[in-house]
Amino acid sequence: MSRNPTSDTDYERTGDLRVVVAGGGELGLRTAELLHDRGHNVTLVETDAERAAELSDEYVATVIEGDASRPSVLRQARLDRADVVAALTDDEATNFAVCMAAQRLADVRTVMRTTTTPDDLYAEFVDGVVFPERSGARTAANEITGVGVRTVEEVFGDVEVLEVEIAEGAPVAGKRLDEVRLPRGSIIVVDYQGNRIGGPETVLEPGARYVVAVESDVVDEVLNLLRG
Amino acid sequence: MSQPGERAPAASLGLLDATMVGIGAMIGAGIFVLTGLATELAGPAAIVAFALNGGVTTFTALSYAELAAAIPRNGGGYAYVREVFSAPVAFVMGWTRWFTYMIAGALYALGFSSNFVEFVHLYGVTLPGPPVAYALLAVVVLVALNALSTEASGGAETAITLVKIAILGLFVVLGLPVARGAEFDPLFPNGALAVLPAMGLTFIAFQGYDLIATVTEEVENPTVNIPRAILLSVVVTVVVYLFVVFVAIGTLGPERLAAAGETAVAQAAEGFMPSLPVLGTGAAIIAFGAVFSTISALNAVVIGSSRVAFAMGRERQLPAVLGRLHHRYGTPFVGVLASAAVMLVAVLVVPIGTVGKLASLFSLLGFTIVNVAVFRLRRQQPDLRRPFQVPFYPVTPALGIVCNLLLGLFIDAETWALAVGWLVLGGVVYLLLARSGRTDEGRPEPTAAAEATVADPEPIDLDADVDEETA
Repeated sequence: MSRNPTSDTDYERTGDLRVVVAGGGELGLRTAELLHDRGHNVTLVETDAERAAELSDEYVATVIEGDASRPSVLRQARLDRADVVAALTDDEATNFAVCMAAQRLADVRTVMRTTTTPDDLYAEFVDGVVFPERSGARTAANEITGVGVRTVEEVFGDVEVLEVEIAEGAPVAGKRLDEVRLPRGSIIVVDYQGNRIGGPETVLEPGARYVVAVESDVVDEVLNLLRG
Repeated sequence: MSQPGERAPAASLGLLDATMVGIGAMIGAGIFVLTGLATELAGPAAIVAFALNGGVTTFTALSYAELAAAIPRNGGGYAYVREVFSAPVAFVMGWTRWFTYMIAGALYALGFSSNFVEFVHLYGVTLPGPPVAYALLAVVVLVALNALSTEASGGAETAITLVKIAILGLFVVLGLPVARGAEFDPLFPNGALAVLPAMGLTFIAFQGYDLIATVTEEVENPTVNIPRAILLSVVVTVVVYLFVVFVAIGTLGPERLAAAGETAVAQAAEGFMPSLPVLGTGAAIIAFGAVFSTISALNAVVIGSSRVAFAMGRERQLPAVLGRLHHRYGTPFVGVLASAAVMLVAVLVVPIGTVGKLASLFSLLGFTIVNVAVFRLRRQQPDLRRPFQVPFYPVTPALGIVCNLLLGLFIDAETWALAVGWLVLGGVVYLLLARSGRTDEGRPEPTAAAEATVADPEPIDLDADVDEETA
């Protein structure tokens, strides 16, 4: 299993990822939903039995009931075939332990959630760090200061605004927009130079990036078309 | 606004719709085409064959229900086996399921054509050309529809399936009073063991509920409704079959039914159904039902086969091009066309009895693997949330394995030879894909190699890091 991508540079792939998310809280569930909508395969690990039942009713991921920081539980999430492990519980020490155990069990990319300002040395140990409180604070600041400035990352209800790079060999690569029929609920907003609104004559150049607004239930279909 | 999307997304399915997906795929050619052929093999005990098949199917349906409720993935049995087993086993499952749907498509197309010719003949029109021409035409039309539009599936299926059930219901209600129990004596004119080959032949009539597992993501409240829909569709179908077979044998008698072959049920209806205004004679109604059922079942397996090919392409277990949507039609275009090519060949070269047995054999093998998957998943992931659990575990899936294998053994050697041939071809495809580094647990090298296809082969890299499971 030497070919798992481990650094950000070779972490460019099309197709579906197998992702293990430790922690089925609000963040874990929302993350699983987004990944599932994009066509990836997600396994959620959650300790609380009642919460685990709620998670499986959401039907976006297979759910393992148990404590992800226990290696015997983590192994049940089939790390040997996973691409990424994301430790998203609300306990920073647990998340760090999960990432360390995961790397020891298999060759996977790791992403951990911190609850305080990330330690400078985390980058030495894990492949990615997320700090939801900081992103949340940014959103709150945007909201407080009024409209005007909004980040693309923000999500409006069911619509996701994505910046997508057209993959070489994707179904739509090199096609003009009027040759392509995207599913209802999706729209190409900005063309790759970022200075024109997408129109019928826009050509989807492979390797170029486009801003796309997509309703969550057709995200996987749109990504299949744009990414292959 | 510029260029907003215009294609409609997939519909969402309630319990009734999901159940009808299963029933619609099961009540297709099987009951109309194979009732006569099964009676030829086993005499009146054909009804026993149908009943036992119903039991065998229920074991596997329970396993499907457990897996489908726990693993939220479209792609049916293939997707679950992919989660549980190593890459080669998953490939065998996908490869055989794909073939089963295609070969079932051939069976439905042939059943459609013979019943269609019969149906038109009842109105005094004799169609030119051999019936097989109409089978080919049916495949081509449905494939074109499914290649060019995603809207051929969906809510219409429910209405169509209800019409099918209504036609068979009419047949049963009118036939039951005149059916003679004496026709069932002796029950086993060819010996009790003759039931087994008849079961092998008719098993295909019980496959199709697994199509519910290919549309799980569209089902409302899935963890509850999917297991229910799978079990309900099997139960309803078995009940309908038993009544229809009872009436067919009880009214026409086993000898004449056997002689009538593929249009047996229509001929039975001719005997007792009154001529109704507008609808026409009994035979015409049943022939219409058969034409209607075979065409909708054919549609279901065209969709089913392309979904399996699509899922395998996504996992890079088949050339990646099968896992891409068409840039204009939004359909798994290449997947549909590849499936169609095999279906057309099967329609042309394989006789109908062999087509039925081949489809049954592959179903039996695939269903065996699904039952094993339940065992393996329980051991590998004991803490997995299973919203639906197989009752009487481990007895039920064990019975499923034993029954499926036993039935498989009673299918003749010629069919096995064809089956082995298809598996060997699969092995070659698998090794070619593995050689070029695209079958490594579904994880391709993140290079242009992943984008190559069989049609555009890259130089084979002998030093390729082949997955240890394939080496």
